Amino acid sequence: MRQLLLSRAWIAGYALLAIAILAVPVAIDDPYLLNKFARYLIFATLAVALSLSWGYTGILNLGQAVSFGLGSYCMAMALKLKTMPIQTGTGGLPDFMVWNNVPSLPWFWQPFHSIGVAIAAGIAVPVGLALILGWFIFRARVAGVYVSIITLALLVIINLLIIDQQRFTGGFNGLTDLSDLQVMGIDFDPYSAATYYLAAGALILSLIVGLAIINSKTGLIMQAIRDDETRVRYFGYDVAAYQIFALSVSAGISGVAGMLYAVVMAFASPTFLSVQLSLSIVIWCAVGGRASLIGAAIGALLVTGIQGSLSETPIFLNTWLLIMGALFVAVVLLLPKGLISLVQSAITLFSRPVADRTATPVNKTMVG
Amino acid sequence: MALLEVKGVQVKFNGFLALRGLDLKIEAGELRCLIGPNGAGKTTALDVICGKARPSVGEIVFDGHKTSRLDEHRIARLGVGRKFQVPSVFRELTVRENLDVAQSKTAGVFRNLGPRKRHDPALQRLAEFVGLADERDEPAGNLSHGQTQWLEIAMLMAQDSRLILLDEPTAGMTAAETRKTAELCRRLKGQHSLIVVEHDMGFIREIGDVISVMHQGRLLAQGTVAEIEVDPLVKEAYLGSGGISHA
Ligand SMILES: Nc1ncnc2c1ncn2[C@@H]1O[C@H](COP(=O)(O)OP(=O)(O)OP(=O)(O)O)[C@@H](O)[C@H]1O
Ligand SMILES: [Mg+2]
Repeated sequence: MRQLLLSRAWIAGYALLAIAILAVPVAIDDPYLLNKFARYLIFATLAVALSLSWGYTGILNLGQAVSFGLGSYCMAMALKLKTMPIQTGTGGLPDFMVWNNVPSLPWFWQPFHSIGVAIAAGIAVPVGLALILGWFIFRARVAGVYVSIITLALLVIINLLIIDQQRFTGGFNGLTDLSDLQVMGIDFDPYSAATYYLAAGALILSLIVGLAIINSKTGLIMQAIRDDETRVRYFGYDVAAYQIFALSVSAGISGVAGMLYAVVMAFASPTFLSVQLSLSIVIWCAVGGRASLIGAAIGALLVTGIQGSLSETPIFLNTWLLIMGALFVAVVLLLPKGLISLVQSAITLFSRPVADRTATPVNKTMVG
Repeated sequence: MALLEVKGVQVKFNGFLALRGLDLKIEAGELRCLIGPNGAGKTTALDVICGKARPSVGEIVFDGHKTSRLDEHRIARLGVGRKFQVPSVFRELTVRENLDVAQSKTAGVFRNLGPRKRHDPALQRLAEFVGLADERDEPAGNLSHGQTQWLEIAMLMAQDSRLILLDEPTAGMTAAETRKTAELCRRLKGQHSLIVVEHDMGFIREIGDVISVMHQGRLLAQGTVAEIEVDPLVKEAYLGSGGISHA
């Protein structure tokens, strides 16, 4: 009974968040604000992805920006090729390739003439990389902080690689001057409500997928692995397979977030694969509550929202980073399970008196 | 053929031989007690059977499969369940969720992706059996030591392995609880094979079947409680630790 009440309260919470997100364009029609909010929603999607791997499975992936960045480049490559008639030099090459004396479009750029292929690649490339990485580290039983170190190292390497291969990637500048994404006759202008809804849809979908996973037995095993991965083995579960699964789902969601980010920003750059972004995702999850999908999402919305408004307010121009740092430390020290733990205790508190009255007799009849 | 055969197994820890040629044979449905002074290698014997430790020499055959090279989860899937000396449950999961994890009939990632059953009558009965029905929604980390022991026993029953390895299941239990555990072991035998490591001779007398005595990584003696208690070799091995009944 109490469980039922609890789960109803959570469903209401998720529904409320979804409605609030979807209602934003109705209340606001400032294109600049919509674009900014779409960005926050994408960050929230990233936080949901990290919550699945870190909060639920205990894998602190510090290289999550790799999945995000690869997703964004996949989308950006397709959108770059779409700009060709205006931007290109001779032979239909993207501008930066012309400047770098690349004679013809490299083979791995070719498939990105198709948006469908680009979207598939935006998911498949991060997932494939996660599968390979996961296979190596989890089969070798690498655990704990070493997972974080390896994923972080991978992030740095791929970041350097992208900067270094300027001829094919645009280097430091990344891929700029992208055309709008056009799918099924809809033009996803970065400043439009359509693009906002795309980001909102991605966040809601990632929450639904995440909820489906954590409410399955697979999700339960993931949490058991977080608690004590060795013990799980002696019950007959292939722990590495579950870890690889969690990492890959998380990478897939991050890839989608990355693709949308390229659409919303109209460029992709190595900053999308930065250590700073990876650490920010960790902070969002820690503030909101890493072992709660909705907590992680709200954490990202709050932190990026506050950060955005502070950094744009002239009086905080020099101090906003300090204020953010202080807020972060305060939350993590006072609420180790994040802000969502406040809601959790409130719900438990309110559901208890009712539940105890009804649940106790039920127990008695079951036992006696 | 025996369900489990341990043949001349040696286990080395940084040069130290914890097992030096252990031989053990367990028939299907048998309940075997394993005793021996501290450091005799009893826990290591269970470790090597379930794959936590690996033999440097020798061979382990479970139900016709050589298990010495198999991953732990493969050995578990063949039908070997283990209770550790230090109770280990999933502390952040509730009692009910712990039991659900233990019930591992289907182990694949994708086959477990469907919605989870919230009310499993079999698991509910198990929780009642070990007296944890009222705590079923409590995180296991909130349980007392005794309750944790019972939860782990219930988890083993949920796992329903053919061979169950119990390492000092009654440690920290009251006399009444110890009796209940003994009764449970008697009930499980026949359907399951059990190896029970214990120090409590009262408990061993109660479940008493064949007893294997270990000493310094080897099998020292084997027989009924009466035979073991008068065995001069066993007496000698327990010298200094106050005799077999106080071990
Ligand atoms: N991981 C390990 N590394 C090094 N030595 C170990 C390890 N595990 C056990 N040993 C040693 O192996 C010997 C056998 O240990 P084991 O735990 O199997 O004994 P036991 O019979 O279970 O003892 P107890 O009755 O105290 O539980 C001991 O001397 C112990 O110190
Ligand atoms: Mg021991």
